[in-house]
Amino acid sequence: MSAPLLSTHGLQAFYGDFQALFGIDFEVAAGEVVALIGANGAGKSTLLNAIMGAIRVAPDMVRLDGAPTGGAAPHVMVAKGVGIVPEGRRLFTGMSVEDNLRVAIDHSAGGNDAWTLERVYALFPILKDKRRDLVQSLSGGQQQMVAVARALLNQPRVLLCDEISLGLAPKVINEIYAAIPSISDAGTAIVLVEQDVGLAKKASDRLYCMLEGKVTLTGKSADVSREDISAAYFGAGHAVA
Amino acid sequence: MTASISASGDLPAVTVRRQTLSGTVAIIIGIALLVGLVAMPWWAGQGTIRSVVELCCYIAIAQMWNLLAGYGGLVSVGQQAFSGVAAYMMFALAQNLGLNPFLAVPLCLIAPAILAVPTYALLHRLDGPYFAIGTWVVAEVVRLLTTNFSYVNAGAGMSLRVMTQYSAHERAIGVTLLCALMLLVTVGGTYWLLRSRYGLALTAMRDNPVSAASQGVNVPRLRFLIFVAAAVGTGLAGAIYFMAQLRITPEAAYGPQWATVAIFIVMIGGIGSIEGVLIGALIYFFADRWFGEFGATYLVVLGVLTLLVALFARGGLWGLVNKVVDAPWFPTRRILVSGGGE
Repeated sequence: MSAPLLSTHGLQAFYGDFQALFGIDFEVAAGEVVALIGANGAGKSTLLNAIMGAIRVAPDMVRLDGAPTGGAAPHVMVAKGVGIVPEGRRLFTGMSVEDNLRVAIDHSAGGNDAWTLERVYALFPILKDKRRDLVQSLSGGQQQMVAVARALLNQPRVLLCDEISLGLAPKVINEIYAAIPSISDAGTAIVLVEQDVGLAKKASDRLYCMLEGKVTLTGKSADVSREDISAAYFGAGHAVA
Repeated sequence: MTASISASGDLPAVTVRRQTLSGTVAIIIGIALLVGLVAMPWWAGQGTIRSVVELCCYIAIAQMWNLLAGYGGLVSVGQQAFSGVAAYMMFALAQNLGLNPFLAVPLCLIAPAILAVPTYALLHRLDGPYFAIGTWVVAEVVRLLTTNFSYVNAGAGMSLRVMTQYSAHERAIGVTLLCALMLLVTVGGTYWLLRSRYGLALTAMRDNPVSAASQGVNVPRLRFLIFVAAAVGTGLAGAIYFMAQLRITPEAAYGPQWATVAIFIVMIGGIGSIEGVLIGALIYFFADRWFGEFGATYLVVLGVLTLLVALFARGGLWGLVNKVVDAPWFPTRRILVSGGGE
């Protein structure tokens, strides 16, 4: 693998006195798709939030292009080229589809205009037809497309996607996941937090499995067996499904 | 007002339209009202002028609270610290230092601006009710300091005796002009802000501050700017209100009634909308005049009304109106119109 674009080093994160992450070493290279899998409460979303600056961590624990960025505020991380599709989409419900996208355009990372309105509409054509509609009138899948398009218009070099398939019908999930190769082909690294192991394995180049705040498995997605994942997902003591 | 968006590729050309018929009508009515306000010394009596000045101050203070709570998510119950400190500064400049009182009004705004900076630095880490209580504590501290500050006549308060050098007519001209400026700055300024490039960021922050931050909006900076702007706007209203009253005391200047009035107006009218503030201010103004004589009973009714709106109509009266007819007085939404004349 080439030099990592984004990496964490012994990352520890806390919610008050409760330690949620225990020394996470993680990395993703430019254009790479990395999946983060694990059961509820494993620490996947916490890892994304810690990278994004929503949870304070020590500067050296997160590095972007080798430079320490841990603890930087979310808007600073966006300016540095890290975008996020947050869990639950978190769209601006009082706005139209296009106004949601314009917020991201107004605050995009400088020096790169790879993603334009035209391009995200080409990626998700339904959004072009719905661009005048209030986002809350859209279906869950369409809202998720807005969330992905919005994050892309921040011009990220790394896109963090937190459970983008959650609560969506399989057909819609496939539509959204079909966009992943186009995004990574443009050089954008993608970190996919995903509960659906099969989907994560299929969509990613490498994967990390987390359990109780620790990485229990890492490897190329194509090489990791279902048995390895089961053991890492549930703990070594559990039987393989 | 319209603005074209360049579109390339296969995206159809669109035009962004922001003005609406209702908005145009509202602007014409607004200008007529402002002209009527400025002309009041020539057609209205002193009592009417005093009442209208009071209404304008309610609108300004509530609009600033709306900006703070409705868009910034900063629920303050201590904005009286800023109206009070600005009013006292104006009294000190005019009465103690001999400055022209009408000139002292804009100059006194430095006081709330300066007070807002350390206040925000102290309180910005607090969330929700803790922030609200913190602002109240600051207002109480400023009240206690003023009560013990002999330069402004301590707890006894001050009278603006320098105003006697002007006739009642001249005073009315000055105060109504200041009121018109205040409405332009607070209501017009908020409208301008919402239509500026910060407008989308402000609306995004109102809808979901966490998400706004993760889309690159510098939420802490925006909140700080809003806090200072609201402090200055509230200070302007306080200075004009007490100039019209010609007298100030710490209890009147820093009393919690300022916060409760602002909260009532915004809650009843509709939080996060300029129209709601105007509706809420009118309701409070007339309710206070018509039912104020009932004392505690009247206050209980106002409280129950606020509670009902908070429980069953969170968008306030303007929110209910909006459900029936989409005719904003201050349109900020971008309406995309197809180039082909769709």
